Amino acid sequence: MGAEQAWLLAAIPAGVFFVLAIFGRALPRGGDYLGVAAIGTSFLLSFFVLGDLLGTEDKLGPITSSIEWSTVGKFELRQGIWIDPITVTMFGVITTVALMVNVFSIGYMKGEPRYYWFFAVLQLFVASMLMLVMADNLLLVYISWELVGVCSFLLIGFYWEKRSATEAAKKAFITTRIGDVGLLIGIILLWKATGTFDIHGIIHAAEAGQIGQTYLFVSIMFVFLGCMGKSAQVPFHVWLPDAMEGPTPVSALIHAATMVVAGVYLTARLLPIFEVADGALLVVTIVGLTTALLTGFIALAQTDIKKVLAYSTVGQLGFMFVALGTGHPAIGMFHLATHAFFKALLFLGSGSVIHATHHNQEMEKLGGLWKKMPITGTTFFIGSLALAGVPPLAGFWSKDEIFVALNDKWGLWAVLILALAATMTAFYTTRLFIRTFMGKPMDKHIHDHTHESGYVMTGPLMFLAFLAVTAGFVVFHSIGKGLGLPGGITEFIFAEHHGPHEYEIDWGFAAASVVMATIGIFAAGWMYWGNSIERSTALAERNPGIYQMFKRKFYFDELYQAVIDRGVLGFSYVVSWFDRYVVNDTGVDGSAQVTGFSGGVLKYLQTGRVPNYAMAIALGVVGLTVAGLVVRG
Amino acid sequence: MVPLENYLVLSAIIFSLGVYGVLARRNAVLVLMSIELMLNAVSLNFIAFAAYLDPGKITGAIFAVFVITVAAAEVGLALAIVIRLFRNRATSNVDEAAIMKW
Repeated sequence: MGAEQAWLLAAIPAGVFFVLAIFGRALPRGGDYLGVAAIGTSFLLSFFVLGDLLGTEDKLGPITSSIEWSTVGKFELRQGIWIDPITVTMFGVITTVALMVNVFSIGYMKGEPRYYWFFAVLQLFVASMLMLVMADNLLLVYISWELVGVCSFLLIGFYWEKRSATEAAKKAFITTRIGDVGLLIGIILLWKATGTFDIHGIIHAAEAGQIGQTYLFVSIMFVFLGCMGKSAQVPFHVWLPDAMEGPTPVSALIHAATMVVAGVYLTARLLPIFEVADGALLVVTIVGLTTALLTGFIALAQTDIKKVLAYSTVGQLGFMFVALGTGHPAIGMFHLATHAFFKALLFLGSGSVIHATHHNQEMEKLGGLWKKMPITGTTFFIGSLALAGVPPLAGFWSKDEIFVALNDKWGLWAVLILALAATMTAFYTTRLFIRTFMGKPMDKHIHDHTHESGYVMTGPLMFLAFLAVTAGFVVFHSIGKGLGLPGGITEFIFAEHHGPHEYEIDWGFAAASVVMATIGIFAAGWMYWGNSIERSTALAERNPGIYQMFKRKFYFDELYQAVIDRGVLGFSYVVSWFDRYVVNDTGVDGSAQVTGFSGGVLKYLQTGRVPNYAMAIALGVVGLTVAGLVVRG
Repeated sequence: MVPLENYLVLSAIIFSLGVYGVLARRNAVLVLMSIELMLNAVSLNFIAFAAYLDPGKITGAIFAVFVITVAAAEVGLALAIVIRLFRNRATSNVDEAAIMKW
C-alpha cells in the first residue's frame, strides 16, 4: 500500500460502522472485536503512511492524491487526501487513543444496553476524524467536521433514557453548531475570493496577497469561530463539561483525540492564513489565554472527577490555541499529542474508578483508593504529573515550548497569564488526585466494595501511562532522529517561512515552569493532604462570593439561560403572537371566514329553477352587448 | 332580389320569439320548442349571410346542417329528461322541478 491509499484508514472503521450498525445486534459480544480490529488496522496502517512519508525526498511530503468529484461549467471540484507531517501526527494520536479507548470499553461497557451500537458509533467517530485530518479541501473538512459533531451527539446522548444526557447531547450539538455556521460562512467567503476549496490553493492565494486584508481577516475569523465551537473555547466552552454525561470512554475519546482537537487541527492547518491576516494570531492567542485562565478558576471549585478533568481539557485546549497563536503549528500539535495521551489516560483512569465504585464520581465520597486500585492509582498519578507539567513527563516539554514561543512572540504579559493558568492546573490536578486516591475514604461503604478493574481496562491505562511519560521526548533532535524522523517534532512539523528549528532547553523557562508546578502541587497538598478539606472549606467560607463564582462556572450557563429566556423567548413570543393573531386569525381564518360568509349569502342565488337561470343568461347577454357598445362608443 | 336586411330582421324576430318562449313558458316541452326556434333563427342567419356575402360556397349551409343535427340530438336528450321528470314528479312544469339547489 502506498500512502495514496491512506483513505483506507478512514474507510475501514467506516465500513465496520455499517456492519455493526446493521448486524451488530446479532453478532456474539455485539461485534466489539470487529471494532478493535478496525481501529487496530488503522493504527498499523498509520505506520505505513508514516513510513511512506519519510520515504519522500525531504521526509516531509506532502503525498497527495485526489479524484475528480464533479464539474460544473469551468469549476472542477476535486476530493482527495493530503498527507504531511501534521496529518501523520494526527493519525498517530487518533488511532492510538482510539485503540486504547476501544479496548478499555470492552471492560467498561460490559453488560450495558446497546453495547453493539456504542462500538458502531465509536468506529464512525474515529473514521470521520481520520477523514477530517487527511482532507485536502475545505468541503471535505466540513463534511467530516459535521460527521464528528453527529457522532459526538450520538455518544454523549448514549444513555438517552437519562434526561440530563439528552440535554447534554443537544447542548453540545447546538453550541458547536453555532460555531459551525461560522465555519461554513468562512469556507464560502474563502471560496468566493479564490475560486477553490483546496486548502493549499487557498493558502497560496492568501500568501500571494490575492485576497484583501480585511476580507481575509473576516473570513478567517469566521473559520476560527467554527474552531472555537468545536474546541470548546470561551465563550463556547459550556457544552464540554456537560458532555461528561456520555460513557466515560467516550469522554476520553472526545476530549483527548477526536472532537475537541478538530478545531486545533484546523487552526494549525490554516495557520499560514492566520499569519497573513493581520491581528488574527492575536485573536487566537487571546481566546486561548482567556479560556486557559477562566477554566482554571472554574476547575478549582468542582467536585466531580470528570468535571475537573473536563475543565482541565478546556484549559489545555486554550494552551494549544495559545501555542498556535505564536505562529508555530509544531508547538500546538506537540501539545495536542502529549495532552491526548495523558488526558486519555486520566479519563480512562477516572472511568476505571467510576466502574470500580459502581458509578460514583463525586470526590466528596471517594478517597484512599490507591491501595485498593494500585494500577489505576499509579497510572492516574503519572497522568496527573504529566498534566501538572512535572519534568520529565510529556506535559512538561510541550508546556515549556509554549512558554518560550509565547515569550518570543507576544512578550512577558502573555507568559504571566499562562503561568497563572499552569499553576492552577497543577493545583487542581493535585487536588483531584489527593481527594480520590489518598488519605482516608470518605464513604466507607463505597470504599469496601471497590476493587481493581480487569486487565482489559488496566492494560490501556498502562500503555497510555508509558506514552504520557515518553511522548514528550520526541521534541529532542536525537530522539526524533532515532525514531526515523528528520529530527525533533519542531523539525518535523513547521510552517514554511519559519523553517525547522532544533529544540534547545531554555533553562530559565524550564526552572520557572518547575517552580509553577511545584507551587501548585504543594499548595494543593497543604490544603487537601490526607483528604482533609478543612482548610479549603475555611477559604471558601471566607470568600463566599468568589467561591460561588468559580463553583457556578462564572455564571456562563446562567447568562446563556437568561439570554435565551429574555432574548430568544421574548422574540419568539412576539413572533408567536404575530403567527397566532395575524397570520392565523386574520390571514388563514379570516380568508376562510370571508369565503364562508360570502358563500352563505350568494348561495341564495342558486334557486334551482331553470327560468331564473335562463333569465340570467338573457340579461347577461344584453348587459354585455350594451357594455360592448358603450365601450366601443 | 330580397335585400339581406329582410332576412336578418326575420331572423331577429324569430330569435326574440324564442327568447320570450324560454323565459315566459312554464311547460318544459314548450321551452324546448322555443329553443328550437332560436336555433332556427341562427340557421337562417347562416344561410342568408352565406348566400349574400360568399355566393358559390356552401360553408353557411354546412353550418346550418350541423346546427340541425345538434338540435336534433339535443331535443332527443331533453325530451328523455322531460319524460323521466314527468314519470317521477307527475309534472312538466319547470318551476316545480327546483330541487337542484343548496
